[in-house]
Amino acid sequence: MVHIRLTVNGKTYGLDVEEGVRLIDVLRDQLRLTGTKEGCGEGECGACTVIMDGRTVNSCLVMAFQADGSDITTIEGIAKGGTLHPIQRAFLEVGAVQCGFCTPGMVLSAKALLDKNPEPTREEIREGISGNLCRCTGYHKIVDAIALASSYIRGGKEDGTS
Amino acid sequence: MKKRGKGMAAAFYGTGYGNGFPDVSTAKVQMNNRGQVSVCIGATEVGQGAKTILTQIAAEVLGLEMKDIRLLCEDTDTSPDAGTAAASRQTYNSGNAVKKAAEALKNILLERAQKHLELPSAHGLAVEDRQVYLKAYPKKRVHFRELVGEEPIRVEASFVAQTTPVDEETGAGAPYWPYTFCCYGVEVEVDTETGIVEVVRGVCAQDVGRAINPELIEGQIDGGFAMGLGYGLMEDLHLVQGEIKHNRFANYLIPTALDMPELEKMIIEDPESTGPFGAKGIGEPVMIPVAPAILNAIYDAIGIRFYEIPVTPEKILAAIRKRKKEGNCGNDFER
Repeated sequence: MVHIRLTVNGKTYGLDVEEGVRLIDVLRDQLRLTGTKEGCGEGECGACTVIMDGRTVNSCLVMAFQADGSDITTIEGIAKGGTLHPIQRAFLEVGAVQCGFCTPGMVLSAKALLDKNPEPTREEIREGISGNLCRCTGYHKIVDAIALASSYIRGGKEDGTS
Repeated sequence: MKKRGKGMAAAFYGTGYGNGFPDVSTAKVQMNNRGQVSVCIGATEVGQGAKTILTQIAAEVLGLEMKDIRLLCEDTDTSPDAGTAAASRQTYNSGNAVKKAAEALKNILLERAQKHLELPSAHGLAVEDRQVYLKAYPKKRVHFRELVGEEPIRVEASFVAQTTPVDEETGAGAPYWPYTFCCYGVEVEVDTETGIVEVVRGVCAQDVGRAINPELIEGQIDGGFAMGLGYGLMEDLHLVQGEIKHNRFANYLIPTALDMPELEKMIIEDPESTGPFGAKGIGEPVMIPVAPAILNAIYDAIGIRFYEIPVTPEKILAAIRKRKKEGNCGNDFER
């Protein structure tokens, strides 16, 4: 057992975890944040993407003890209360969700991209989500949604930015 | 050297199970005395939009908003069977079942409204805003809730698709109804040094009968194009003596966002007389001609025909080497 401290979606937790436990297991099983999905379990599909200290990571490839002291954002921490994040709103408006399994990871990759680069080109958006596999959408509407979210965020509060 | 080429391919696709196999969807529609409507159908939502389409169809028939309809599906305890979410059949088959059931409910409302309004006939009655009214004299109207007693109105309807088995001797028969038509055009760039094929542009024209939800159709086309692109260029199970060797995403490659060119989508509407509001299913059709179009474009670019997919960079380079060795330019690369 190791004791770790994690800040997840703004809330700090002290947790006792087994050495062999991954970050995704802590998020899903201990904190019950099941919005983070496990796809391949080997860092290829990006479904388990979370933001750790400002950078996206595959939470299936991070051991829980490696995350000690870090600040983590999961899909549950994106909306502000009942108000959707502009990225989430854009995904809904454009129709960028089909089966939805890749969606949490896509939204977090989009957020990490837009936090760094608020006005990405379509090519930069494609690159930003290239670590997230999607079998349903062909990515087009996801790229459209991220471009729209970018305009919402740059447009300011009246467009739903919190 | 990078060589460009263009290719096209067209497909027609038979909706449903076909070949005489029973293909049935059943829906239940209910309205209570508060005018609330629920639709119950065992149609599975897998992201294709079945729930949206079926709700739209019921709302359209009953003159309601989508939010007024409660859809219950995927619960075998409460929902009647509507077959599988396969064979591009949910919009057509289950859509027809929902439409039939909703129309049966509407007819009951119209008959009750005729009595309530003391009219000699139900002709010319229509529904809007949870009311039945006479089109020729719109003041004559009655709210749904006046027409439903303590006991909700419950109706059930099935749609059975038309199909005949194909004669094994002659191949004659009408295995499917309806058919859906699709055509793709693509432009590729083949790198003759690395063997990598990049699809730089795509155009899809898809016959849909009638577009119940154009946004969902576009989503299906985008997805089908990505699947077809992966099928044609990347996805190889590498089956060795019955064992799948490429059993993970590290070696079974599927397209990422970087592999996808922009895709122009044309929705062709030619209403199908047996479809719900003229609609047909397009789930599978949008994928079928993609790989043939890409292989035709590769032929246009480098003059080599491929008869096996995926056309991986290794296969392109091997084919180019073989052609150089044999010294024949432009001939087909035979199996």
